[in-house]
Amino acid sequence: MSRLKEVAAELVETARDEGAKEAIAEVFDSTVGQIRYSNSMIDSSNQWHSVHAHVFVAVEGRTMASDIRDLRNGADKVREVVSLARASPINKDYGGIASGAFKYRRCRVDKRIAMIRNPAKFVLDAINGAISGGAQDVGGTFFVRDSKWGIASSKGAFAEDGNASMDLSVRAFTQPEASGQAVLVTANVDKMKARETGIRAAERAVAAKDAVSGEEGRFDLVMEPLFLGGVVGATAAMASGLSVELGMSMFKNRIGKRIASEEMTLIDDPIMKSMSRRMFDHEGKPCRKNTVIKNGVLKTYLHNTSTAKHFKTRSTASTGPLIATDFSMPSEPMMFHPVLETGDQNVEELIGDVRNGLYVNNTWYTRFQNYSTGDFSTIPRDAILRIRKGEVVGSVKNIRVSDNLMQFWKSVDALSKSPEEIYWWDEAAPPAHLPAARVRNMRITRSS
Amino acid sequence: MDEDVAEYTLNQAAGKDKPILVEVKLESSRKNEISIKSGQVHNVSASTDAGMYVRVVMKEGIGFASANRIAKTTGSSLARTACRLAKAGRRKERVRLSSEKTATAKWTVKQRSRLRDVSNDDRLRYLKSLDSEVMSTGVKVYGRYFELADSETESYFASSEGARVRSMVPRLRMACLNTVSSGGETEQSIREWGATGGWERSDEWNAGPALAEEMKVLKNLIDNGKAVKPGEYDLVCGSEVAGIAAHESCGHPMEADRILGREMSQAGKSFVSPSMLGEMIGSEHATVIDDPTVPGSYGYYEYDDEGVKAKPRFLYKKGSINEFLHNRETAGKLRVNSNASSRSSVYEKEPIVRMANTFVAPGDLGEDEIVKSVKDGVFMKSFTEWNIDDKRYNQKYVSREAYFIRNGEIAGPARGCVLEITTPRFWKSLDGVSKKVEFTAAECGKGDPIQGIAVHTGGPLLRLKEVRLR
Repeated sequence: MSRLKEVAAELVETARDEGAKEAIAEVFDSTVGQIRYSNSMIDSSNQWHSVHAHVFVAVEGRTMASDIRDLRNGADKVREVVSLARASPINKDYGGIASGAFKYRRCRVDKRIAMIRNPAKFVLDAINGAISGGAQDVGGTFFVRDSKWGIASSKGAFAEDGNASMDLSVRAFTQPEASGQAVLVTANVDKMKARETGIRAAERAVAAKDAVSGEEGRFDLVMEPLFLGGVVGATAAMASGLSVELGMSMFKNRIGKRIASEEMTLIDDPIMKSMSRRMFDHEGKPCRKNTVIKNGVLKTYLHNTSTAKHFKTRSTASTGPLIATDFSMPSEPMMFHPVLETGDQNVEELIGDVRNGLYVNNTWYTRFQNYSTGDFSTIPRDAILRIRKGEVVGSVKNIRVSDNLMQFWKSVDALSKSPEEIYWWDEAAPPAHLPAARVRNMRITRSS
Repeated sequence: MDEDVAEYTLNQAAGKDKPILVEVKLESSRKNEISIKSGQVHNVSASTDAGMYVRVVMKEGIGFASANRIAKTTGSSLARTACRLAKAGRRKERVRLSSEKTATAKWTVKQRSRLRDVSNDDRLRYLKSLDSEVMSTGVKVYGRYFELADSETESYFASSEGARVRSMVPRLRMACLNTVSSGGETEQSIREWGATGGWERSDEWNAGPALAEEMKVLKNLIDNGKAVKPGEYDLVCGSEVAGIAAHESCGHPMEADRILGREMSQAGKSFVSPSMLGEMIGSEHATVIDDPTVPGSYGYYEYDDEGVKAKPRFLYKKGSINEFLHNRETAGKLRVNSNASSRSSVYEKEPIVRMANTFVAPGDLGEDEIVKSVKDGVFMKSFTEWNIDDKRYNQKYVSREAYFIRNGEIAGPARGCVLEITTPRFWKSLDGVSKKVEFTAAECGKGDPIQGIAVHTGGPLLRLKEVRLR
């Protein structure tokens, strides 16, 4: 295939020839390899290859988006899309697309990742590492991702980008109910330390042995970056201007107000080297760092061109995919790569200043009673260690954090020095750089 | 759809390394989505897709490769890749598949009013009618987001054992989000309706009046709802709550792949082990069925993605752990037959063990009888926040619509009632079940990459004796 941005430009040109006033085409070429393993054995090896284009057109106030999966007939499909747009209702919510003489940064991709011929080696290293660390049973996934994408629009976007990354997830068990989870996410093949990741998971699983049922009450929590990833993901979604409009956010009418402790500065940094690095959003606007929360004060929502118009502000170059995914509405503004600024403590110091608390490795199933108030619960899993008077004294199970998300962020009183890039399944997502954190006085509940 | 491509690809894969099994699936689909926000069009999209996968089972492992193109050259390339990936598995334990009857079948879900003939204006009119119903209540509602998605998916499945299954499934889904505000407080309603069939299904849902009623209910909840004083009460669960409990604390823990550990690092394992078949998990009233063959249901299918004929599965039967959900791999491992639980959400994802339509079986009580029998309790009609741990043992449901029951009568609204309970305690507390089963549509998430798959959850009214609420 010729260069992706040129294919995109041809699609945009066709749309304009057909009468589209505005058009965006984004062409993707991706290959993803995956190994799934459990019971210390490889279950299946999968590979997905797809080449396709997302196309958005606006014709006389009417809009239409389409995922063109067969690019051999791309021009014909674009003509159909424009024709469908003409037959569609007027979209008064549409505020245009990004416009300008854009300049784009270039970024290097580790081309060695796409050349990996024996991914099973990493998996076997992870399994062996975990077993050497005391695990009896190991499972997880290993992904090798190689993607390229090019964009063109009728308003000046014309660029190409790509990324390659590897992500390893290891869950180790030392007893049927004693487990630990560790991940390693990297866009640099030299940094894939599979065996060490297995050992880290096993260390947590060893510490989680002989867990007793946890108590209800108020506890301080020391959270690993993996745990924090699930909570940051839920928070990041609420920063979208669209979420605010829909009542799916606790941040409505709170710009300029304190919504977290001073320790918390949350940035969306799509341009740093990471698994989710990208140089432009899905309207083709060059990405930038957006400081969403600065020292506990909400600074901005994230916007595409339409939500920016609604809020009478400018796009933050945060437009998400033009076609709905399992987790996003079409063009929904989103955080691409949340970064929580680090603190000045190490994990031992975070634990040392806890009289009555829990050290938590991982969490899942974060759900809300009401997004606009932030009342939620989440279920810690894998190692949950009991802390008394600054010392880990055992492990617990069967607990739930049932509290309020705003209160959670207001109760963060310390962060660790060292961030880690994390991504796990769709729970600790999107990929993020996060430290460990300590949060005071969270409500723990359990089943009767 | 080009059957020759499937035959050619089967031959390409089967001829190379003597695999135990080769499966080829060709799939083409068209999909429309439209959404409105505060009464205005928010998004319109229309897409078509066509692609295929090759799945190869060898003694060393399983390989899966997909591409968004249907052609002999693509099939040949995918066959090579899938064989290479299968061999790379290096399994010490040989893959064992259950032996199943080889199917040759063609099945189609009929549409009275074909989805492909529905215009975007018709779709918009439908969504706007729902929005108007919500607005007509006079209740202050913001957000007001409604989305409609419909699809028609044709597929052709062929295996090296001789299975040939062709299908066409039209599917329709409407989801909405509304936030009710009163006196500075809010309550949220996130609802979904789904079905297989044509446009006629949207009429059968009767969603407009249901949403209008819910807006009034949530306002009343804000204005007059009272918290439940923590303690032990009899709890009546509405069909929506019965359905989520059936799905989360019966359907999921009874998935054999989870029981055998294959989902251990994502969705988790299960508190159930193979040796627990026949053990009591609930009272005699606890019968939970997963049935892909419920006509018109959102999770409907006649053959699964391994070409096995679908049938109802009795997961919990009169309180005992009765039958796991199996694909051919898990069935082979436990030396039983598959019960046709293998599904993939799209040709780009590997088929894994999934639920279809999971519900609590009806009992013999009238709904009035259930309520009248409760002296001091709560009727939790629907839920908002919910979750469950990864062994499917500790679950939580928070009420959306709930009422106090005093001396057998529905009293005022109960707000934010929380049931946090273990799986055995839930099902052992069940002491009465009404006659009429109702269903709710949902997207069940499982697998890595995640596969959201269409399911129904449901049940009649359930009466739980003396459970802890707060």
